[in-house]
Amino acid sequence: MKILGVGGGGREHAIAEKLCMSEYSPKIYWISEYTNPGVNAICRSTKGEHIRGSTIDPEKVVEFAKKVKPDFTFVGPEEPNFHGVADALEKEGIQCIGAKKAVAVIEMSKAEMRRLQWKYDIKGKLLFKTFRSSEEAYSTLDKYSKTLTWLQNVALKPARQAGGKGVKVIEDRQIYLHDEKQKFKSRHFDWLEGYMKPYADVEDKILVEENVWGPEYTLHCFTDGKNVVGMPMVQDNKNAHEFDIGTETGGMGSISGPGNVLPFLTEDEYKESLEIVKSMVMAIQDMTGETYHGIVAGQMMLTEIEGPTVIEMYSRLGDPEALNVMGMLESDLVDIALAILDGKLKNSDVKFNNKAVVVKALSPKGYPDYRELAKNHPIEADEKAIQKKGAKLYWASVDNDGKKTITMGSRAVEIAAVADDLPTASRIVESCIDYVKLTDGWQMYHRSDIGTKELIAKRQDLAERARSLYLQRKQNGTLGKRTDWLPGVGRVDPVQNLKKELLSG
Amino acid sequence: MPGIFGVYPFGEGRENWSASRFLYFGLSALQGRGQEIASVALFDAEKKVFNIITEKGLVDDLFRDGRKFPTSFLGLGLVSAFEDDGIIEIKSPKKLVLAGDGKPLLHKEKAKAFRILAEMVSKKLVAAKDSIEAVAELLSEVRGGFSFIAITENQEMICARDKMGLKPLEVGAVGFDLGAVASETCALDVIGASHTGSIKPAEVVIFDPLSIRRKAIPSSKKAHCSFEYVYLARPDSYIGNTSVYEARERIGEILAEESPTNGDVVIGVPETALPFAVAYSRAAKIPNKLGFTRTGRHMRTALKPTQFERISGVQLKLNPIRSAIDRKEIILIDDSIVRGNTLKNTVLNMKRKGAKKVHVRVGSPALIAECPYGVDVPPKDELIGRSVSDKEVAQIIGADSFAYLSTEGLAKAIGLPRKELCMGCFTGQYPEKIE
Repeated sequence: MKILGVGGGGREHAIAEKLCMSEYSPKIYWISEYTNPGVNAICRSTKGEHIRGSTIDPEKVVEFAKKVKPDFTFVGPEEPNFHGVADALEKEGIQCIGAKKAVAVIEMSKAEMRRLQWKYDIKGKLLFKTFRSSEEAYSTLDKYSKTLTWLQNVALKPARQAGGKGVKVIEDRQIYLHDEKQKFKSRHFDWLEGYMKPYADVEDKILVEENVWGPEYTLHCFTDGKNVVGMPMVQDNKNAHEFDIGTETGGMGSISGPGNVLPFLTEDEYKESLEIVKSMVMAIQDMTGETYHGIVAGQMMLTEIEGPTVIEMYSRLGDPEALNVMGMLESDLVDIALAILDGKLKNSDVKFNNKAVVVKALSPKGYPDYRELAKNHPIEADEKAIQKKGAKLYWASVDNDGKKTITMGSRAVEIAAVADDLPTASRIVESCIDYVKLTDGWQMYHRSDIGTKELIAKRQDLAERARSLYLQRKQNGTLGKRTDWLPGVGRVDPVQNLKKELLSG
Repeated sequence: MPGIFGVYPFGEGRENWSASRFLYFGLSALQGRGQEIASVALFDAEKKVFNIITEKGLVDDLFRDGRKFPTSFLGLGLVSAFEDDGIIEIKSPKKLVLAGDGKPLLHKEKAKAFRILAEMVSKKLVAAKDSIEAVAELLSEVRGGFSFIAITENQEMICARDKMGLKPLEVGAVGFDLGAVASETCALDVIGASHTGSIKPAEVVIFDPLSIRRKAIPSSKKAHCSFEYVYLARPDSYIGNTSVYEARERIGEILAEESPTNGDVVIGVPETALPFAVAYSRAAKIPNKLGFTRTGRHMRTALKPTQFERISGVQLKLNPIRSAIDRKEIILIDDSIVRGNTLKNTVLNMKRKGAKKVHVRVGSPALIAECPYGVDVPPKDELIGRSVSDKEVAQIIGADSFAYLSTEGLAKAIGLPRKELCMGCFTGQYPEKIE
């Protein structure tokens, strides 16, 4: 058997590893922009091949695929999905685990995703507005600045998935700091407009959503278009630094287990979240007429107003969350892939262990906002010593020229440990940090707090507060209801207003 | 016992934030820790200098209408009950500003002790390869009970607590943009930050534009300042995971257990003793009433420098509500008793307004010794609790009975092991040798 993989990060290293562990003993082939030493080693050890090439150019991927003639292709990242790699491969008769362009819109356009959710009235929604320019966004917010609508407390996002950058959460509840925060919103709108210029594939440039609070988690699923099978929940940590402070990153580390449900969430919340993701898959298929083959995920939050709520959708595994679910997967990933491609995916095909997994990313200083600083540092890791400690190193944003490995500006490596409980797994990872070094003396950073008892207790506390409120709403029939009072206008129902707006638009 | 506060923005566009707005509101929340001086230091990133602005009085006096503050995204501030306190600036070898709470045992005078500490930080930062190692080394060398926030010309914000963890330092986050560090969590609340953790005893945390790093040195025996829980901190603050309000309620409950008495009504002396009274009332099943109304702005009378200011402050603060006390046997709860003068006045006033009896209960043990860590306890010969029995205190202040909280009771109320608390002002025994 031959399998072709696409993408070169930590997630792809974990996928490649899982594929090569299969009973089918496949030869692993891979294409990515840079050479990930982990993926490369797997290709060589299975007598496959790794080539460097653009993963967002469907022609390049097809060209390599035609040469390899794989049994199927497995796409890791989102951008190949957005660029139609799965579509191009299928046209050539090569089956693909990876969302086609039409259904990947669920991730590519955060605005389209939200419209779909409202149109199909799927649970866990947020109020939103989209704008084509900074000017339009700011004047709308300014118009409402003296009234207490949801437009004060907002998340400002690029309307298209854009490398996980550009999200600002501005909780503007202190009237005495309003001017300061309004000023910041306006500057960020300008920044977003500039940032979105290169993305001509979406009309909406800026998305403004109501700000909510609560613990976040990701629920990944396999789907063949008919069945949607859930994986264990994972919690990623987006803030760059300790104490949950600092810029939004792609994820500085993630926790999962023991078992399917995170320690601060409930079985019911798992089920509800799974229903939501299923509904989103059915809705996007219904809207586009395309079949969804591969992986879909809800990046969720347990909110006071809606319970399990969709923050974003992924058309692939999260990175570093992939390391958690791959670390817990007991079934043969190739069997799952074949079941998906046959359209015969069953719950029983997918089994996970009951372990706890902690993953931590190590980033050169400079990531995420000053990537030039984080680039081009030679990096070395003592993988054997890490293995001895009971953990495993996954190469991520690096490039290997055959002699040395250098950093490429994002998270350079990810270390994962599997244990009976999260704090133990966290301690194992911590004991490995010093085995990874930039040999030119530039510093790296990571979050020592991820997976500790202390941080889990904080998440627990947050979850309990959100849960007691949304369960009360559920009981008294106000789940998802919002009401505002606009002086001079009267009672306003923003949910109804949004629905009307979407119908008329 | 100053209040200190620092704010640190991260990421692209970080220079768009204006630190002075956050400092104003953060320091306002810490105003209870001192009302004699307010000071901020704002970093000018272009010229690489600090602009320090100081005013005698309140945060509102510092940020008075129309005063222009230099544009800056990075700064720290301090309020204090001592006019000598302030932000310390060191020009070389490493330019930095430092605001401290507590006292390092480096000099008899507090301001000089912090200056010496700041000079040591500056020198060590230049000598060492890594800032965090430099400050960790400093922490292992310096005795005393203190916490500090410093900002260097390299835009490093250095936060640290002494080995015993005497003074608190709490950490918060605003969205994906700002980190903040404060003496108390109430300062984080008012700027809309969530309380995401505490700097640990014997820990250094350094914020730089690209990272946050932490390093802990081996902690000696812990000694948290128990006076924070009784009086200094605001009731809406948390010290680590302990709610100050809950600790104060437990003080009231334990007082009711330790020194029960008959009475018709429980009244707390505003502001600090109000939660004591609420809980005392609940435990003793005696109704709680508001007994006083305040004239003028909120004032921390015990921290006022002169006797005149303290008594006039109390008299303005404590006008009795006659109908709440007339012809009633009162259980009056106060937070602490220093010289007894203000309490004597209060009891006298209540009796003139018709109280039949006044039983005084104090929510802390007798103050008998000075604080080597910067809390302004008057000279020993002025402390009523040092040489006078409870019975005699009652006679002096004109109360019908009088009792303090025990030291064991206080430890129980705080909820930390007795050996992890500094109760030096109540016992004369300090966590380390004091020369």
